[in-house]
Amino acid sequence: MRTKALLKGDIGFQFKYGFYFLYLVFSVLYIGILFALPFEWREKAALLMVLTDPAAMGLYFMGAIILLEKSEKVLNSIAISPVKSREYVLSKLLSISIISTAVGLAIGIAGGVVSNLLYFSIGVFLASCLFSAVGLIIAANVSTLNAFIIATIPASLLINVPAIAYLFGFKKNWLILHPGVSMIELCSSGQNAIFAFLVLVFWTVLLAALSSRVVGKMLQAVGGVKL
Amino acid sequence: MISVKNLNFSYTKKPFIEHVTFEVKSGEIFGFLGPSGAGKSTLQKILTGLITTYTGSVKVNGTEVKQRDNSFYEQIGVDFEFPSLYEKLTARGNLSFFNSLYKKQGDIDALLASVGLTADAAKKVADYSKGMKSRLNFIKALLHDPSILFLDEPTSGLDPSNARLMKDIVLTEKARGKTIILTTHNMYDATELCDRVAFIVDGEIKALDTPHNLIMSKGAAKIQYTYLHNGREEKGQVSLSKTSEDELLARLLRNNQLLSIHSSEPTLNDIFVEITGRRLQ
Repeated sequence: MRTKALLKGDIGFQFKYGFYFLYLVFSVLYIGILFALPFEWREKAALLMVLTDPAAMGLYFMGAIILLEKSEKVLNSIAISPVKSREYVLSKLLSISIISTAVGLAIGIAGGVVSNLLYFSIGVFLASCLFSAVGLIIAANVSTLNAFIIATIPASLLINVPAIAYLFGFKKNWLILHPGVSMIELCSSGQNAIFAFLVLVFWTVLLAALSSRVVGKMLQAVGGVKL
Repeated sequence: MISVKNLNFSYTKKPFIEHVTFEVKSGEIFGFLGPSGAGKSTLQKILTGLITTYTGSVKVNGTEVKQRDNSFYEQIGVDFEFPSLYEKLTARGNLSFFNSLYKKQGDIDALLASVGLTADAAKKVADYSKGMKSRLNFIKALLHDPSILFLDEPTSGLDPSNARLMKDIVLTEKARGKTIILTTHNMYDATELCDRVAFIVDGEIKALDTPHNLIMSKGAAKIQYTYLHNGREEKGQVSLSKTSEDELLARLLRNNQLLSIHSSEPTLNDIFVEITGRRLQ
C-alpha cells in the first residue's frame, strides 16, 4: 500500500520535474536517428540504443532524483516517516523502469528488433531496474552532480562494454553471465534467452538488495552519523 | 511518554552528549533551551531515532529508540528547522504525498486553513516565502495526528503575527493531549509555551524545571521606581520580598510623589546566563 503511494508520488515528481519530457525528446531523437541509418544497421543500432538509452537512463536519472531529494532535504522527512528503505528503493526502481520499458519498446519496434514482445519487455525492464539500482547506490554516496557523473563512468563502462562487444560479434556463451550481455541476449530472443533471463534476474535482485542497504544507511546518515 | 536515562553520544571520539537523564510526561510541552551547537538538535535526532549509536536508555512511547521499527514513526511528527519539501510541487501536492505515507491521514484543507495557506494551496512551494514554507512544513508534521511532536525552532523566521499563529496551534495541540518537544534558543517562546525546560550547554543538562520555578529560584523579583528629588529624577529599587522595609518608597507612596513604579522579574535568558555562564542568542 505504502509502495503504491510512493510510486504514485515518484511518477508525479518525475513528470513535474520534466523527466518524462526528456524521455520523450530522447525517444523521438533516437527513432529519428534509427530511420536515418541504413536498413541493415537498424537492428543492432536499435538494441544498442535500448541498452545505452532507456535501460541506462535510470543510472543518470536516478542520480538526478536522489541528489534533488538531498538538496531539497526531502530525505529528512522520508527518514522520519514509516517508509522502509526497501519500499523507497522499489518505488524508485519501478517508476524509472516502467517509463524505460515503454521508451525501449518504442525504439525496439521502430528498429524492428522486437521478435518476442515478452522477452524484450522483461529484458528492458530488468536492465532498467539494474541500472537504476547502480545509480541509486552511487547517488547515495555522493553529494554533487559532478561527483556523481565521474562515479558513473566506470559503472557505465563495466556494464556497457561487454554488452557492446557481444552485440557486435564477440558471442561467447560465458559472457551471458554478464548483466548487460544477458539483457542483449534476452531482448534479441537469442538461443540462451531463458538462461539470460535468470542471470538478469539474479543481478537485478542482488543490486536492488544492495541499494536497499545503501538507502537504509543514507537515511540514517540524515541524523549526521556515518554508519 | 519519553524516558531518557544516562544518555551518552558523540559524533567523534570526544564526548558530546554526556549523562543526560530526564522524563517527559504525556501532554507536556518540554523545551530544550540552549545556544547553537549545545546539543539540542542532536538530542532531538536521538529521540526521533535518526541517531541510534548512543549508549544508555532512550524510550519513546515505551519503545527503546535504537530498537524501533518503522511503525514507530506513525506516532511521531517532526517539524524541522529548515523546509523539507518538494519545491516544484504545490503545497497541496506536498501534503497529499506525505499524507499518503501514513496509516492515519489528516484533513489537508483544515490544516492549510489553520495556518492561512488555503488561498496559496495550489501554488508551487518554490514560489512560497520563507514564512509560508515554515508554516507548510509545520502542518506537514501534524498530518498523521502524531501523539508526540518534535518542533525545531518553530517560530524562526516568522513575523510576529505568524509566530503568534504558530504558538496558538502548538497550545491547541497540547490541549488535544499531544506531547511536544520544543527545541529552541528563543527564551520568549520557551517561557510562554513550555511546561518545563531543560538548559542545555555543551551536551549537558545544566538545569531542568518549569520556567516559573527557574525564574523564581533566583528570587530576584524587584520593584523599581522613580521620583523627583531636588528637581532631578531619581531611581529607587527594592527586592519584592523587602518592600515593607523601604522607608523611602513608603514615604513616596504616602505623599503621592512617585513618578513611576513597576515590578521587574529576571527573564529566562537572565537565569540561563546565571546558571550556565553562556548567552542564548
